[in-house]
Amino acid sequence: MSMRTGRPARTGQYLALLAYLVFLAFPFLWLVSTAFKPPRELGSLHPSWIPDEPTLANFRQAFGEQPLLRAAGNSLLVALCAAAVAVLVATPAAYVAARHRGRLAKAATGWAVISQAFPFVLLIIPLFLILKNLRLVDTLTGLVLVYVVWSLPFALWMLIGYVRAVPSEIEEAAAVDGAGRVRTLVSVTAPLLAPGVAATATFAFVTAWNEFFFALVLLKTTEKQTLPVVLTRFLGAEGVADLGPLAAAAFLATIPSLVIFAVIQKRITGGMLAGAVKH
Amino acid sequence: MRMRVGLAAGAALALLLTGCAGEDRSADDGTITLRFQSLAWQQESVAANKQLVEEWNATHPRVRVEYVQGSWDSVHDQLVTSFEAGEAPDIVHDASDDLADFAYGGYLADLRGLLPARLTADIPAQSWETTTFGDGVYGVPFLQEPRVLIANKKILEASGVRIPTPEEPWSWEEFRRISEDLTRRPGPDRYGVAWPFRDPVSATLNLGLSAGGRMFQREADGKVRIEFTEADAVVPGTVHDQVNVDRSASRTALGGGGSDALPGFFAGRYAMVPLGFSYRQQIALQAPEGFEWIVLPAPAGRAGLAQGVSPQTLSVAEDSPHKKEAVAFIDFLLRPANMVRLAKGDWMLPTGRQALADPALRTTRDGWATGVALARHLRPAPAQSVRGYPEWKDKVATPALQEYYSGGIDRDELRRRLVEDGNLVLARYQRD
Repeated sequence: MSMRTGRPARTGQYLALLAYLVFLAFPFLWLVSTAFKPPRELGSLHPSWIPDEPTLANFRQAFGEQPLLRAAGNSLLVALCAAAVAVLVATPAAYVAARHRGRLAKAATGWAVISQAFPFVLLIIPLFLILKNLRLVDTLTGLVLVYVVWSLPFALWMLIGYVRAVPSEIEEAAAVDGAGRVRTLVSVTAPLLAPGVAATATFAFVTAWNEFFFALVLLKTTEKQTLPVVLTRFLGAEGVADLGPLAAAAFLATIPSLVIFAVIQKRITGGMLAGAVKH
Repeated sequence: MRMRVGLAAGAALALLLTGCAGEDRSADDGTITLRFQSLAWQQESVAANKQLVEEWNATHPRVRVEYVQGSWDSVHDQLVTSFEAGEAPDIVHDASDDLADFAYGGYLADLRGLLPARLTADIPAQSWETTTFGDGVYGVPFLQEPRVLIANKKILEASGVRIPTPEEPWSWEEFRRISEDLTRRPGPDRYGVAWPFRDPVSATLNLGLSAGGRMFQREADGKVRIEFTEADAVVPGTVHDQVNVDRSASRTALGGGGSDALPGFFAGRYAMVPLGFSYRQQIALQAPEGFEWIVLPAPAGRAGLAQGVSPQTLSVAEDSPHKKEAVAFIDFLLRPANMVRLAKGDWMLPTGRQALADPALRTTRDGWATGVALARHLRPAPAQSVRGYPEWKDKVATPALQEYYSGGIDRDELRRRLVEDGNLVLARYQRD
């Protein structure tokens, strides 16, 4: 049965969607506008969206004052590692938890949800001491480890949902057709799980890319600091900020996340449709 | 094919993880390495700090200082964790109002006996008080900023009001009357003053010293109690009446920070804005072409121009195995000429007497001379060493003062909250 929607209702829906998009995009557009404004325009009582005298000076100052490229490189490395490891660990665990619904699986799922309730300020000092004993303080490896541990419960919880959405009958059918366990997992289950894995990897990547406090506390050497930590150097005491360069640097910091979402979004949607429609 | 892709992905991951591995920082050649965490953030200030570290390293090959960049935004949490885990930098840059817990917690070295006589003598006793907790001295106060009135020069001159100087400042009553005069200008939304009081507590307490306010009274048994006397009520009462009775202070500016008030100041909406001395840097940078501004002393009360400050400090971690060398570096960093460089970089006042006498800071340009003239009136911020002050500030004083300033509660209710609710908070921190 198909639902027919009238033109006024459809127009209303689009307007509501547009309003929502504008609402979501407002902070980002303001950030972009600020990044291209000279200091005097930032002090204007009636600020405009389009800078009167657009300038790249904020970008030059941001790059001149702080090692943004090196920090972005560190962030990228850490976020990619954290996402890869989180997915590698969470995927098999999620498969087992979803397919073998014993007490252990239930306990694991429950623990994954409960562990999200701990505020990280409670964890940071014990975590720091553990990493110190492992000689992993002030290393990017230690930071990756923390991010994996931090994102793993939610990644596991997400992936369990995706695994459960793949009907076990498909795997049984493959087995009937003569496929072994590994062949079934690799050729049948894995392609159907790909959108979920991509979504989980994106989640883990963005979490690690944006994370500030662990990076601040764990990394001592200036050369190893990540982008969110370096961004705070544009802030002074009592909330005073070097607004132009801060906006320029923050604008650049959003780009990798935007690119990853743009690339992966298509795959997630495509994969979900592939799994949902019978051919 | 699939296998090859898998192997390639595994190899790439292994490479990435190898790339993540840290380096061993230890050196066995006898060279001491000190880590100096600086919170400098303005371009000139960072450059001055780095330059001074380079100069030290060039002349002290056996004691190398490594510059570590910190951030004001997160320094407390970062230091708490670092101290707990024994990984704190050797030399810690912070502010005196953040040191109490670290000093009482045993994380900072007592510098008595380590400080050179030159440095001890150069910094006045009232500045040393800001870093003295119990019997120990836990930091070297080196930069400070009074709160001043930044004024639109043309508006003030056109109004014909007397321009105050550090020698002849306005009284609080005079300031209130002049703010009313400056409000009566042609144009909509004109105000004599804008109080950017998003965080009103420290500014209220610090300016309150000028009227003889104290609010935190230490009793014979060493415990601290809050009182709200007539002297304590002068500054809050002035702000309240300017906003709610005279209408000479902007109500909307009350909820914002200093930076938020600047566009209205530049547009002529506000004739004066009380701000920290270092805000001059933002004003110099953002002011429209032809905009003229001057720096005036904050109004004086029965205690003259006294006001509280929480200077920036340099401390040494108790865990540092090289305290003597760390103090030697601090002494180098705070030589008079170097202190001037740091002060200019941060647009703040040095604490050192010799640095304050430097001609570079005696110029009238950008209001430096006014600030220097105020330096001898600066006192330790009230309550900065009182345990429980941060909680009182966040849970009691901030909402109470915000409501009072916006006209939501009267003076009696403000007094009740600050004193009764406040003493309950402090009592929890002062149990025997």
